[in-house]
Amino acid sequence: MPDLDNNLVQATAGIPVESKRSIIKKDLIRNRYIYLMLLPVIAYYGLFHYGPMYGLLIAFKDYGIADGVWQSPWVGFTHFQHFFENPYFWRLIRNTLMINIYELLFAFPAPIILALLLNELRLILFKRVVQTISYLPHFISIVVVAGMLVDFAARDGLINNILGVFGMEPVAFLQEPGWFRFIYVSSGVWQGIGWGSIIYLAAMSTIDPTLYDAARMDGAGRWKQTLHVTIPDIMPTIVILFILSIGSMLSVGSEKIILLYNPLTYETADVISTYVYRKGILGADFGYSAAVGLFNSVISFVLLTLANTISKRVSEHRLW
Amino acid sequence: MSMKRKTSRFAVVLIILALFATALAACSGGESTGSTGSTSEERDSTEQTEPLTKLTYWVELFPDAAAIMKSYGEVTAWKEIEAKTGVQVEFQHPAQGQLGEQFNLMVASNKLPDVVDFAWNNYPGGAQKAIRDKKIIPLNDYLDDAPNLKKLFDAHPEWRKMASTDDGDMIGFPFIREDVTQQVFLGPAIRKDWLDKLNLAVPTTIDEWHTVLKAFKEQDPNGNGEADEIPILIPAGELAFAGAFGTPNDFYQENNTVKYGPIEPGFKEYLATMNQWYKEGLLDKDFATTDSKMKDAKMTGNQVGSTVLFLNGGIGKYLDLMAKSQPEFKIVGTPYPTLASGEKPVFGYLDNPVTGIFAAITGSNKNVVGTVKFLDDLYSEEGKLIMNFGKEGETYTLVDGQPKYTDAVLDNPDGLPISQAFRKHIMGATSGPFVQDVRHTEQYTTKPEQQEAMKLWSAPTHEKRMPPVSIAVEDSSRYASIMTDANTFKDEMILKFIMGSEPLDKFDEYAETLKGLGIEEAIQIQQAALERYNNR
Amino acid sequence: MTYKRSPGETVFSWFNIGFMLSLCFVTLYPFIYILFASISDPAEMARFRGMLFYPQGFSLDAYKAVLENPMVATGYRNTLFYVTAGTIINLIMTTLGAYALSRRNVYFKNSIMLIIVITMVFNGGLIPSFLLVNNLGMLNTPWALLLPGAISSFNLIIMRTAFQGIPVSLEESARIDGANDWIILSRIIIPLSMPVIAVMILWYAVGHWNSYFHALVYLRDRELFPLQLVLREILISNSTDNMMTGAAAGDRMDIGLTIKYATIVVSTLPILVLYPFLQKYFVHGVLIGALKE
Repeated sequence: MPDLDNNLVQATAGIPVESKRSIIKKDLIRNRYIYLMLLPVIAYYGLFHYGPMYGLLIAFKDYGIADGVWQSPWVGFTHFQHFFENPYFWRLIRNTLMINIYELLFAFPAPIILALLLNELRLILFKRVVQTISYLPHFISIVVVAGMLVDFAARDGLINNILGVFGMEPVAFLQEPGWFRFIYVSSGVWQGIGWGSIIYLAAMSTIDPTLYDAARMDGAGRWKQTLHVTIPDIMPTIVILFILSIGSMLSVGSEKIILLYNPLTYETADVISTYVYRKGILGADFGYSAAVGLFNSVISFVLLTLANTISKRVSEHRLW
Repeated sequence: MSMKRKTSRFAVVLIILALFATALAACSGGESTGSTGSTSEERDSTEQTEPLTKLTYWVELFPDAAAIMKSYGEVTAWKEIEAKTGVQVEFQHPAQGQLGEQFNLMVASNKLPDVVDFAWNNYPGGAQKAIRDKKIIPLNDYLDDAPNLKKLFDAHPEWRKMASTDDGDMIGFPFIREDVTQQVFLGPAIRKDWLDKLNLAVPTTIDEWHTVLKAFKEQDPNGNGEADEIPILIPAGELAFAGAFGTPNDFYQENNTVKYGPIEPGFKEYLATMNQWYKEGLLDKDFATTDSKMKDAKMTGNQVGSTVLFLNGGIGKYLDLMAKSQPEFKIVGTPYPTLASGEKPVFGYLDNPVTGIFAAITGSNKNVVGTVKFLDDLYSEEGKLIMNFGKEGETYTLVDGQPKYTDAVLDNPDGLPISQAFRKHIMGATSGPFVQDVRHTEQYTTKPEQQEAMKLWSAPTHEKRMPPVSIAVEDSSRYASIMTDANTFKDEMILKFIMGSEPLDKFDEYAETLKGLGIEEAIQIQQAALERYNNR
Repeated sequence: MTYKRSPGETVFSWFNIGFMLSLCFVTLYPFIYILFASISDPAEMARFRGMLFYPQGFSLDAYKAVLENPMVATGYRNTLFYVTAGTIINLIMTTLGAYALSRRNVYFKNSIMLIIVITMVFNGGLIPSFLLVNNLGMLNTPWALLLPGAISSFNLIIMRTAFQGIPVSLEESARIDGANDWIILSRIIIPLSMPVIAVMILWYAVGHWNSYFHALVYLRDRELFPLQLVLREILISNSTDNMMTGAAAGDRMDIGLTIKYATIVVSTLPILVLYPFLQKYFVHGVLIGALKE
């Protein structure tokens, strides 16, 4: 299908300003309802997202509460410098990246696989029950999830009791740096797999049944049908979600880690957000945390752009 | 070419957004210029002292109070104060959790409630900065309107010092614990029934502790035939034991010279002892990850021989919990351990008499004098009685001139446990701008074990304790930066030393690394703060 | 529709069913644990460790304590309002944005998309947002929970992707008949997108149900608190960290443990009970969407 929008761009390239204006004018008239629809959306983003954006300046300022953002003195890149020169800088980056890579490898595909498997269930009632049950963990507060994890992973907890049956020595999972990423990511899978599969199931439900019939005529078994009908159909969703998760490679929420880590596992568990959190306890250093936040944002944006460009080239799916 | 076009298109949209943003900046122009002068720095002589009728009061609603009320306005004591003074107090309670963050947001806008009751030293940059920013009005010029507080400060210069900044500005109306037994709240405790069973005395020195713990480990005091006893359950760097070696896991001072415990030689001895206890299975294997819930399970599971406990939330709690199922369960406070016998312990847990929570009058307050007079009344004999005991005839009666709680509190008709009955009727068990009455504490902490522990835990001399100093405004971010890195490294290493995954020969290397992370500069910052404190 | 399964597919089916059953067990067990723990005797529960297969003793004290909390009923009422009103606002805004940005020849489309994506990575931080809400006069009003999160960019992108997947042919014939964008959106796009709209309803509604942060920051009037904030307070108030205040310690600690679990049950049960009914509707919606294809 020809991309009309791109044609439009090519058409406008090199055309005198006069006619470019008329193109815009034409566009505004033709798409007046579209722009009308966009009005509240743009207003929303302008007000609630770009309105507070001046707060980014805090990253370059010695922010004082009474002075506010505008009056606080400039300090240039001091906060950034402090962050980069931090003795733990590379460890924080490494840990943050590693957790994200684990998530990309395990937590990202898990809901897709679950959705595909659910799609293969022929007993509708059974499928519905499984689906409902798999959503449940999404409703539990992270405080509670972490509390149960600590219980279950303790030396005399549930997991070690089970391992004990097989004659294994008990492991204090939460004291071993080597186990932390696994615990973090697998509990995340437990909590998010069902919920994450919803979107893929929805995408599958719009697949034209005649496509399957046609595939069957061609002698495709269920595996082939999945491979050639189902997966291509949910591919746009997969790609978009993948691009978005690439964009968040450098961010890991602090709440869950704070509930799970301890100095023994800092080695693998201490990430950028938890470090900033600990620093925040000692002195409310707004400038520093804003600088770290901005650093994260810039990296995220670069990664997002990169992923988007690559995807545009390779698969024609793109965000913008 | 096409790239350029796209950029210009992007610019158009961006300009529209910019318009929104400017419109906003215009309306958010009121953002905290701070010095908007509803108050003058010097006391205005023409200031009228209109009678106060209404007051907005921002304060954290105590967690377990939140379960039974929506506002402190429902507390009998405050209702009584409102009835007596005719002042209507309108309480504002932030939601619980991230209190500091919510406080920071509130002070970022320039309209504050009349009174903000908070640990003001946590204001970014400290209480001094809050005064400089005109967020709060220091009491110095209003002390004549606060005769009751003035009298207290004159009688206890140390309290005045703790309620002031380094520049001598009085931060606000403090919550005061008048007696040392109220300031003691946490300390070492041991299973007395186990000691009796094994014919052992309460240990006092580290060596005696070792003997006792070994006996706990080997002689099966819980009598279940398994060696599942955890002789001692304490976190790394526990003051009660690190203190015995003269080196707490923090800053302390010796003749007004600030030192940092974790790099002193004594700390190495402490770590060696803990390492030995860990190797011998005396120290809980999971001490590094034990949270309060697991501690509860281990305590009530009849496994723990000794630990460090709160007076009410520990000793009192476990005695109550176990009374039914295991009547012989007896846990008592022990003296703080020392190295040599007969030595007087130096370090111990102690809250300051002036707790650091101040009801401060904000820059938005329109009737400062009236507010000062109102709050000062709470420090009078009558105010103290109401805040601590509530309403006469309802929540207390006078017996021989002494207030005694009625059954509305001690045996609540709605079945509330005593701690919540206290929250419902009085403020003495919570906090606020008044003096906590020692007679309240005596009627709250009633078990003989608790009374005994209170006495034992009051023994340390505290001669090397850091007073509540404040870090200078200009040092605060440097200090935070050093301490975050130092603590990250230190916490990790201490655990490794105790668990033996780093040999203790590396202690000097570790101390050097800490110095490399700037710990000496942090000591200097603390030293300067101490000197300023002493000169207050 | 006679279709013969190959032996491999039969094996797979059984494997699949087995996998689903074990998934259900792994997912359900913690809930069973919570349920049993909440009706256990607090003292025995405190002592208990390991795998729970039946309640330890029996006591409803925890439920009594939770239901006595004056905030729970208020919280329920408020949450119901926030979920309903919030989701309606979300749906309208997201649908408008997703439709407009999924159209093919709109000159500023990609720029607007980029501007939206930028907000997913850059934000001004909490303080300016707070000041904004304050200056708009929304502080301490329900609006503070409804408007600042009116669109989730993530959801907008998902919905746009779904709209883009709808064949243009359907739309083109309508245009020839003189339909404008409003008609195309309401008569063609929305009916064909019921599955994704159902997902949006679910995501937004549950998002409102689970959220507490905006309430934490923007509300001071306890009459406006949503349930999750109340729940959070109960959870926090039962952690021992608050014991540092010394003499002000609580002897309520003994039921603290089971209160936590009872709170979870009280606050999640309604949505769990409701869900199967909702799902019926969703499945229905999904089917309609598929049939109209």
